[in-house]
Amino acid sequence: MADYSTDELFAILLARDLRAEDRSVQIGANMPMARAAAVMAGLTRLPDLRVLVGLGVANLADGASVPPVYPFLFDPRSQVGEALMVQEKAFDYSRRPDVFFVGGLQVDRRGNINLFGIPGPDGGWKVRGPGGVALGSMSTSCAGYYIVMPRHDQRTFVERVALITALGDRTERERLRFPGGGVRFVLSPLGVFDFDDAGDMRVRSLHEGVTMDAVREATGFDLAGPDSAPVTDPPTEDELRTLRERVDPEGTLRA
Amino acid sequence: MSAATAERTSAVAELEAALADVGDGATIGIGGAVTAAHPMALVRELARRKVRGLTVLAPVAGLDVELLIAAGCVEKLVSCYVGYEVMAGVGPVFRAAARAGTIKIEDIDEGHCVAGLRAAAQRLPFMPWRGGVGTDITSLNEGIETFTDPVAGEELLAIPAMPLDFALVYAEISDAYGNAQPQGTGNMDLALGSAAETVILQVDRVVPNEVIRRAPERTWYWQDTRVVRAPFGTHPYSCATMVADIEHLQEFLDAAGGEGDGLDAYVQRYASADHDSYLEQIGIRRIASLLV
Repeated sequence: MADYSTDELFAILLARDLRAEDRSVQIGANMPMARAAAVMAGLTRLPDLRVLVGLGVANLADGASVPPVYPFLFDPRSQVGEALMVQEKAFDYSRRPDVFFVGGLQVDRRGNINLFGIPGPDGGWKVRGPGGVALGSMSTSCAGYYIVMPRHDQRTFVERVALITALGDRTERERLRFPGGGVRFVLSPLGVFDFDDAGDMRVRSLHEGVTMDAVREATGFDLAGPDSAPVTDPPTEDELRTLRERVDPEGTLRA
Repeated sequence: MSAATAERTSAVAELEAALADVGDGATIGIGGAVTAAHPMALVRELARRKVRGLTVLAPVAGLDVELLIAAGCVEKLVSCYVGYEVMAGVGPVFRAAARAGTIKIEDIDEGHCVAGLRAAAQRLPFMPWRGGVGTDITSLNEGIETFTDPVAGEELLAIPAMPLDFALVYAEISDAYGNAQPQGTGNMDLALGSAAETVILQVDRVVPNEVIRRAPERTWYWQDTRVVRAPFGTHPYSCATMVADIEHLQEFLDAAGGEGDGLDAYVQRYASADHDSYLEQIGIRRIASLLV
């Protein structure tokens, strides 16, 4: 098995899935793997992509310099590119960005995300999350979004999230006539997951060395899917070289 | 004979004087976002004075809010995020206050912040917003209501106006009259200022008006603005010419996360004197190492 980190795998899987019709990609806080994915896609396959990386808006075609991946989203050195990102303007153009990435404390069978926290029995908080950031607004309107979960266990993959920060449930989204396209897929250290016709989460592929039993054991609800799932195509030498040499030379994702 | 020209009034104020009427129970907004461009010198002055009972709107926050909570200044916090990205997913002081119920917390989405600030600026009772429909935001924020829009019959959110007594914001430069030119992207500061009775603007440099006039397209201004010069005043957060101080943020996180009186000691050490004393504590070597 090639040697790569989970964040490097995430970056490469996300970069592969971004599409020609995705014209702009916006990255939120604490998502360096998504930043790397968007830059990598712009560099290799999608010359028309605008990538909102931190404070700058970049296009990677025509030999434009590659914005490095910094640990903090709004690093002043990210203020390069062909335009600047202005936080309040992002909401004036709510059909855009086309693509967004979200994380959460919990994700559930229906694709809902919780970043608020878990209420306690007495009206307080058992677990307090950082807050919803812009997940509610972005997930409602954008053409599609990816859920990236750094952990996969029964506390993070649950039957029903304690509180909904981003509504992924397809049935509810249709009822409420949401303009956006909803969840594209869910990434975890164990595999790639999407949703069946009824809107329930299912296995799309499992990463190298992960068994169906292991993923079922780690999931707090019955995952739809066959007993043997395809193996996630691992990163190729080419992909890893591009990622490490051109997108993330500082090794932020390797740590 | 030419008529005498009246002199334009300077808006420059000393740090302490500029914040003197931010009193107990005031509603303030704090600019900047994540680790960038928070007006930390202004925040430290409020913490030093131990102002009480503040309602704080801080869209995407961290140490700015946590320092005020730690100093006992905050009664109610309205925020989209309190954290330190890769360093700490959730702010430790915020988390502890939430769990202990010592402050009132209202969650809000960034889009709601923009809508509510604009409603205040436009003297409207609310703005409609779609993002967040069908989520639990309505149970976590008392002011936000679901309603059926009278035009298309769709379920939407009513985001109440969020008027501020004071907006505390930062720009790299301004002239003496409050013509600010942020060299970053300004984050949500324009909207914060527009919703406020008074803007308190922290800058690194106060420049002559003619410098501002070289690039008028970069100027932001509000009606009632006080300009406070505080060089390196976003520290430990970044501005256009300085990166965030990871080492200092870690010192804070260690102090806040540990047992005992580490947090009180942090507040005492870093928010009990004037801005120059703060810079002396941090030291010129550290500051110089952060410059881009």
